[in-house]
Order: sequence, then structure tokens, then C-alpha cells
Amino acid sequence: MRLQIDERRCKGCNLCTLVCPYRIFKPGKRANRRGIVVPELDRPERCANCRLRHLYGRTLCGNCQMICPDQAISWKEDEEPVPKKVAIEY
Amino acid sequence: MSEEDWLRQDRLPHIFCAGCGNGTVINCTLSAVEQIGWKRQETVFVSGIGCSSRAPGYISTDSLHTTHGRALAFATGIKLANPQLNIVVFTGDGDLAAIGGNHFIHACRRNIDLTVVCLNNMIYGMTGGQGSPTTPMGGLSTTTPYGSGEPAFDLCGLATAAGANYVARWTSYHVRELTRAILTGLENPGFSFIESLVQCPTNYGRRNRFKQVADQIEYFKSHTILVEKAARMREKGEMIPPEMILAGEFVRRNRPALGVRP
Ligand SMILES: Cc1ncc(C[n+]2csc(CCOP(=O)(O)OP(=O)(O)O)c2C)c(N)n1
Ligand code: SF4
Ligand code: SF4
Ligand code: SF4
Ligand SMILES: [Mg+2]
Repeated sequence: MRLQIDERRCKGCNLCTLVCPYRIFKPGKRANRRGIVVPELDRPERCANCRLRHLYGRTLCGNCQMICPDQAISWKEDEEPVPKKVAIEY
Repeated sequence: MSEEDWLRQDRLPHIFCAGCGNGTVINCTLSAVEQIGWKRQETVFVSGIGCSSRAPGYISTDSLHTTHGRALAFATGIKLANPQLNIVVFTGDGDLAAIGGNHFIHACRRNIDLTVVCLNNMIYGMTGGQGSPTTPMGGLSTTTPYGSGEPAFDLCGLATAAGANYVARWTSYHVRELTRAILTGLENPGFSFIESLVQCPTNYGRRNRFKQVADQIEYFKSHTILVEKAARMREKGEMIPPEMILAGEFVRRNRPALGVRP
């Protein structure tokens, strides 16, 4: 699973930065096209829900999603890695 | 199904200001209706007027956005006309306790089978920050520029005294506890009242020393005291500081209820 912030919904309130036990959300630095400073994700693969959701079959932790007043936080299923042939040139 | 299915995604982002606690309470409520397994076709959200009362407009069930203060009267009508429907009311502190005060006490007295979620931001948010019946002593608002000189209503005390079957209070910081309380309210027959304190950064927070959205959330975190702990303190004769927010379940009982499904 991959943690993601929907930039079309986020209003940059930074409440998510308060509640994550791993401090994955960091206040952003640059305003996006809508003028909103969306938080940045610091190594989101550490998120408990990303790692353990499938093992337990339910949402784990989920603090950030629950407190986000703008319903902007969700998880995306990882895409199956597609094997690729790589021609190595020397 | 998931909570996302309960949202009218074409209406998002909603109009609430950045960091407004209303959005968090919507999350908790939708998580509770999802957990209890209600069907969207059998669930109705009702509200009055105010920022908080715009919540049903973002939910994909049938809803009724009624007149100021009258959400409970409309909800009573729906429930009595069709007791098969599950009804959740979103209401603000002004909507419920000021203009709608009488509807509130009589709905509690009748103990009608509704779940009422009150988003208490301690202010009239929508109309620009006038004081409400829950503005705390000393709280600044556009109508109390020197600090409110009146004691605030204890909405949970009011609901308990008037006869509601289930009464609980939490805040927009306590998302898990709030979700569990709403779920218990949905399960409990009769009038279930869940009050959630919410931050209103625009009209309350910035006038009352909460410069950032996070400041008021930190305040909720550090100024709540569980009802059980408060009871123990009272037993020992200790003083509970007046600014503390009592949180938890105040009452869960089984008075005869109106509008319960046959
Ligand atoms: C009959 C009537 N009186 C007054 C108003 C103006 N009015 C609109 S919202 C509101 C107060 C809302 O406060 P609250 O219920 O606390 O909701 P909030 O916006 O704080 O969420 C008032 C007085 C109205 N719309 N209708
Ligand atoms: S809590 Fe939600 S809206 Fe607020 S900054 Fe985080 S993602 Fe954005
Ligand atoms: S689900 Fe929990 S661990 Fe994962 S990002 Fe959100 S708050 Fe952090
Ligand atoms: S005015 Fe206050 S209650 Fe209304 S949307 Fe803005 S922050 Fe929320
Ligand atoms: Mg209000």
C-alpha cells in the first residue's frame, strides 16, 4: 500500500503532522498551483497501515486519515511490478 | 464499501475553512455508520443552519438541510413517518442550544430514536463569530469583545437531565473515542446525544489565543479529563479546574423510547 495526499482536497492545515507516530508528515515548503502548502511525506513506506493492512485485513493506525478534516489522505494499492527486460550496454 | 462511498465526492473539497474541526467529525460519523453496517438507502442525515449543518450536503444519502434550530423537529417528523429509517442529526451549538433549545430538551424528554452529533465550536461560525450559549466564560467573540461574562451551557448535562438515553462528549482530537461514542449512540435505542468540541480557527481560534489550528487541538488534548477521573477527584474533595473539558460517557440507560422500530 502507498500513502498519498490528494492535492485537490488538502487545505494545508498540518493536522496530519501532529498525529503520526512515525512523523511521516512534514509541513510542506512550497505552495502548489492552488496556493496551498501541502505536507511532504518522509519515507511513507514506514506507515503502519502500508506495511500491515493486508496481514491484518483491516486499517491499522489510520490516525492521519481520521483527523484530516478534508478527506485528503488515503492509501493506494501497489501496482504489481511488471518484469522488464533491460539491455545493459557496456 | 468504505467511508469514501458515503461521501459525495463531486462536492469535495468542502467549504469549511482550512483546519476546521467539522471535517474530522464527519470522518468519525461516517466511520461509525460504516461499522454498524447501515445501508445508504435506509439512512438519512438531517441538519439545521450553520457551518456544521452543511455536513449532510457532502454525504451521499438522502438528507434534509432544514431551517435554523429546527433540525430535531424535522428529524422527529421523518422518524415518526417512517421508523424504518436510521437518522443522524448534525447540529451546531447555536443551532441546537440557542434558537433550537426547546426542540432539544423536548426531543430528549420524548427520547426519540435519533442520534444527534453536536459540533460545538463555542461560537456562531457561519455568521462571523458571535457568542453562542456555549462560549466559555471570558471567551472573546464579536459580541463579547471584553470576554463573555455568562456561564456556558453544559449540553451533556442538559441532555442527561432532560432524559436522553445515551450522552457522551469528546473532541475533534479524540477521533477514536469519538467514533466509538457515535457507534454506541447509533446502536442505542432512544435519543443519543454526542457532543464533539471542534476547533473553528477562523472565528474562535484566532480571537482566543489559538494562532495555529494545531494550538486548539493541543489544548483539547491537554485540557480533557475523563468523567471517571473527575468523579474520583470529587470523591476525594479535589477541585476540578473550571476550564477542564469533561470527556467520556455521561449516561447510558434504557428509558422507554419513541419511534423505535417495531
Ligand atoms: C431563523 C434564523 N435566524 C438566524 C439565522 C442566522 N444564522 C445563520 S447560522 C447562525 C448561527 C450558527 O451557529 P452554529 O449553529 O453554532 O453553527 P456553526 O456555524 O458555528 O457551525 C445564525 C444565527 C438564520 N439563518 N435563521
Ligand atoms: S490534515 Fe489533511 S488537509 Fe490538513 S494538511 Fe494534512 S492532508 Fe492536508
Ligand atoms: S496511518 Fe498512522 S502510521 Fe500511517 S501515516 Fe497515518 S498516522 Fe502515520
Ligand atoms: S467559520 Fe469556523 S466553523 Fe465555519 S467553516 Fe470556518 S472554521 Fe469551520
Ligand atoms: Mg457553532
